Amino acid sequence: MAQQQLDHLIKSEYAAGFTTDIESDTLPPGLDEEVVAFISAKKNEPDWLRDWRLKAYRGWRKMAEPAWAHVRYPKIDFDAVSYYSSPKAMADRPKSLDEVDPELLATYEKLGIPLHEQEALAGVAVDAVFDSVSVATTFRHKLAEAGVIFCPISEAVQEYPELVQKYLGSVVPQHDNFYAALNSAVFSDGSFVYIPKGVRCPMELSTYFRINEAKTGQFERTLIIADEGSHVSYLEGCTAPMRDENQLHAAVVELVALDNAEIKYSTVQNWYPGDAEGKGGIYNFVTKRGVAHHNAHISWTQVETGSAVTWKYPSVILRGDNSIGEFYSVALTNNYQQADTGTKMIHIGKNTRSTIISKGISAGRSSNAYRGLVRMSPRSTGSRNYTQCDSLLIGDRCGAHTYPYIESRNPSAVVEHEATTSKVSDDQLYLCQQRGIDTEKAVSMIVNGFCKEVFKELPMEFAVEAGKLLEVSLEGSVG
Amino acid sequence: MADYIEQALQRPPANAPRWLDLFHQQGRRSCREKALPTGKTEDWKYTSLRALGQRDYAGQPAPVAASGDLQRHYRIADFSSHTLVFVNGHFSPALSAGSLPAGVELVRFGEADAGQAERIQNWLGKVASREQSVFTALNESGLADGIYLRVTKNTRLETPIQVIWLTTPQSEAFTVSQRLLLVMEPGSDATVMEYFTSDAAEQNSFTNGITELVLEQNARLRHYRLHAEQEQALHIGGVHASLERDANLDSFHLAVGGTLKRIDITVNHNGPGAHCNLQGVYLLRNRQHVDYHTCIEHRVPRCTSDEVFRGIIGDAARAVFNGRIHIHPDAQKTLAQLSNKNLLTSDAAEVDTKPELEIYADDVQCAHGATVAQLDETSLHYLRTRGIAADEAKVMLSFGFINELLNRIPDAAVAAHLRPMLSQFFSGEQHFVR
Amino acid sequence: MLSIENLQATVDGKAILKGLNLEVKAGEVHAIMGPNGSGKSTLGHVLAGRPGYEVTGGAVRFNGEDLLQMDTEERAREGLFLAFQYPVEIPGVSNMEFLKAAVDAVRAQRGEEPADSVSFLKQARAICKQVDLDQSFLRRGVNEGFSGGEKKRNELMQMMMLEPRLAILDETDSGLDIDALQVVANGVNALRNPEHAIVLVTHYQRLLDHIEPDFVHVLAEGRIVKSGDKSLALELEAKGYSWLEEEVA
Repeated sequence: MAQQQLDHLIKSEYAAGFTTDIESDTLPPGLDEEVVAFISAKKNEPDWLRDWRLKAYRGWRKMAEPAWAHVRYPKIDFDAVSYYSSPKAMADRPKSLDEVDPELLATYEKLGIPLHEQEALAGVAVDAVFDSVSVATTFRHKLAEAGVIFCPISEAVQEYPELVQKYLGSVVPQHDNFYAALNSAVFSDGSFVYIPKGVRCPMELSTYFRINEAKTGQFERTLIIADEGSHVSYLEGCTAPMRDENQLHAAVVELVALDNAEIKYSTVQNWYPGDAEGKGGIYNFVTKRGVAHHNAHISWTQVETGSAVTWKYPSVILRGDNSIGEFYSVALTNNYQQADTGTKMIHIGKNTRSTIISKGISAGRSSNAYRGLVRMSPRSTGSRNYTQCDSLLIGDRCGAHTYPYIESRNPSAVVEHEATTSKVSDDQLYLCQQRGIDTEKAVSMIVNGFCKEVFKELPMEFAVEAGKLLEVSLEGSVG
Repeated sequence: MADYIEQALQRPPANAPRWLDLFHQQGRRSCREKALPTGKTEDWKYTSLRALGQRDYAGQPAPVAASGDLQRHYRIADFSSHTLVFVNGHFSPALSAGSLPAGVELVRFGEADAGQAERIQNWLGKVASREQSVFTALNESGLADGIYLRVTKNTRLETPIQVIWLTTPQSEAFTVSQRLLLVMEPGSDATVMEYFTSDAAEQNSFTNGITELVLEQNARLRHYRLHAEQEQALHIGGVHASLERDANLDSFHLAVGGTLKRIDITVNHNGPGAHCNLQGVYLLRNRQHVDYHTCIEHRVPRCTSDEVFRGIIGDAARAVFNGRIHIHPDAQKTLAQLSNKNLLTSDAAEVDTKPELEIYADDVQCAHGATVAQLDETSLHYLRTRGIAADEAKVMLSFGFINELLNRIPDAAVAAHLRPMLSQFFSGEQHFVR
Repeated sequence: MLSIENLQATVDGKAILKGLNLEVKAGEVHAIMGPNGSGKSTLGHVLAGRPGYEVTGGAVRFNGEDLLQMDTEERAREGLFLAFQYPVEIPGVSNMEFLKAAVDAVRAQRGEEPADSVSFLKQARAICKQVDLDQSFLRRGVNEGFSGGEKKRNELMQMMMLEPRLAILDETDSGLDIDALQVVANGVNALRNPEHAIVLVTHYQRLLDHIEPDFVHVLAEGRIVKSGDKSLALELEAKGYSWLEEEVA
């Protein structure tokens, strides 16, 4: 591989790297019970939620940061993080898109998600979270007609307190893990979705998250409830501006699929990965989990190209008989990025099925680990799992790792795991070049082919974006 | 557990040669410096050491009057070998037999002369580092005897060497710290079997057995490590190998379950072109626990490894398998594969398996696979259409699942010895296969 | 010997056999022909008792007994043998061990002692030779790494060892070259006598050049739509199946 080509490509810039200049209402760094109470008060929350947050905070204080993941980063000073930031212009919530700060809207334009256009063309409702407070929600009326609730979770706390109280923390308890506990204490905002019984959500729901303010952590909390027999497809896109220092992102996503319901959750994550020397970038420590009741179906699809450090295991608890869990993932790391990501499939019900397809691509000096757990509990008679983990290495200074944990306590359950590694070979590149295809295009073709099984699970508009994203993220990895 | 270690450290081995003193000290120091494994220790996540605390295992083994009757616990028909027998850690000349061919140096630590002691010290602990595990350190601190076997340059040993480690209960529970150090000089070729066994009585021993295999250039070794002790005999130990250029290791492992068996196998590919074949079988029933941790360290380019482990777990037993393949930076052109298959035959049985790949070089071909399942329905049906009863068909298929690996054993006599032993394990105990 | 009355069966909830009738007497050779998907293989599996093949109606009597009430292995011991179209590979279980277990199970049913190893091995070797299989196959895993033709010959070998009262050969001729086909025909013809009955399930007429059937049946849409003697097979060979389907429609 030619070094100068490599250098050239490495220098290509982070396409989403720009900051938006809006005044922010930001809390000074540090975390104690007062800060937690302040956040709660600021959001005008009921007492139960304030106490819930405080309980999470007290538990978090006693917890240790997990150290088992295959990632290395300097110790995070949680007292140097600011736990609340809301755009000042938002003191009065905009009544419609027209009232939204034009600069904000311009930001979304740069990200390629023009709200108006999407309203008109794509039929996608977007709940945009700018830093910590939701600023615009579209299609509310159309969704309301179907009985679908799609709003910021802070609003749901006010308007649908009984739903929030019933399900918040029901999938990811406050003290589930260190980062989930932190999120439970200080979560800022996020999406809330409720699909009533038997309703097929009339459109795909989408949220774009951005981390904008320097030194602010982003602590979204998303809660999606699909009532019996309902169906919803949810798209999550994330980008963050370029900064030198690392920013913390610790989100929690909870999915509840009641009997016969289906939730499809797709993510394209391109948080800022840091520069070519490994400076800056997002620390992405996310807890995503769903509970599938009888005959329910939860599917996670993710394309992860961003963040300096990723720690993320979208999981499914297959509680009900005949429930289905799926995890389709492409995780790409380049330069000094580190990812430890995978899934957990916890089979509890009878005749449950899970499928895991994980594609890891490592380039540069990055480290990319798949970590997965498949557990067959004694009750999970007749259940099945199939796991396939493939790694593609680009260059000889990166790492690709596979750590599948398989725990089976039921003799009739079948678990199959396979993993392979391969590289983009010189022969493949030579063949492409000989046919007139340049190296960059050739790598992109090979990588896209490698990821095909996952891309086909993505909604159409995301699939196109994902392919492009890989291309951009891989720039500089091959020469 | 902590009590056990402390007790064991306070009772230095009796009758050990003086030159081992340094190792005892280093082992003790290293042991004390180490944190004891708990459920939170990744390597011990699925294996509890509680059994070590159930009795006071820190006792010293006493010499046993050897009886020829013990032979039936290990004798392999039609397998002529040079045999060394240790009973409760003490060498038994009466049971040992065979004459060594030229080109082989075989000496017990306890009998090594100054020159031999020096050669031993050159190698001891070099492959199995006391820093790796608290139990390796403990072994070093408690070494009273051991075997040093050197196969000199270009010597081809026609007759296998068999080391029998047999335990028999004594009044006080006890620990056997056992060590085998094998140095295969360049171009040498040998077969070495380690056979851990016991008499049929309920055992009260804890064996901490460490084996170091050094394969220099072009050396070839066929190695067996068989564990067929009575259920109560505890074992924590392992085999650690270093392979130089073009060396070839073929290693077969068997564990018939016990209360606690933990075996670590590490193969270090230190010279290009080295190859290892690692195969293992574990069979568990009752409340037995077997834990195999294997690790292939591909440190240099152009090495290959092929690993297959299979297990059948019945009753309320629990099997743990962790198979790691580690490709170091620049270990290009590596070919490595691992397969682990498990059959669960009872509602209360459990298996925890974790094949791991850790890869830092791109021009490599690595694959691993793991399955947990019950017997194949189609095969079961096929046998039944030929009139074979369902229960019998299950036994045949279970045995066949294991027999596939036995078929690859290079010494026919060993395979012939194991087949009835294992097949009895299935058919003799109907509760094992539902 | 075999009496099938209005047999209906489903696979994965899909109806395949839809009221099939067939009488097979001792000493007879029947050929069942039909287009792909007509239910030919299903019939064999239903009779052999394959899991997942559900009988939803009708009755089958075998030597006067209710076949459908018997377990798979009981059917085999009563003398029903199915030669599989796609025999499964069972690595680790040797052919020898497998055959001995099967022969002994059938002998036990007849109240006989297990076969003694020496004469058993002798017989196995002799049959190997008859079906043109190398004796080394006896030591190998059941069908393990066998070619398609070897698997078929292995099925035939089992049939000859077990000497079933009723042998059902499920497309045993498919994928065989002319020499192998002759071996199969020889094996089947050797079994042919007044006590035994044979059902050949086949797609092509060519096997019937070597084994002359007493009756030929055409299976379509899960029913026998036409029966005749061996001339029917020749007619099918010449005209295909479509004319029959039209006729039935």
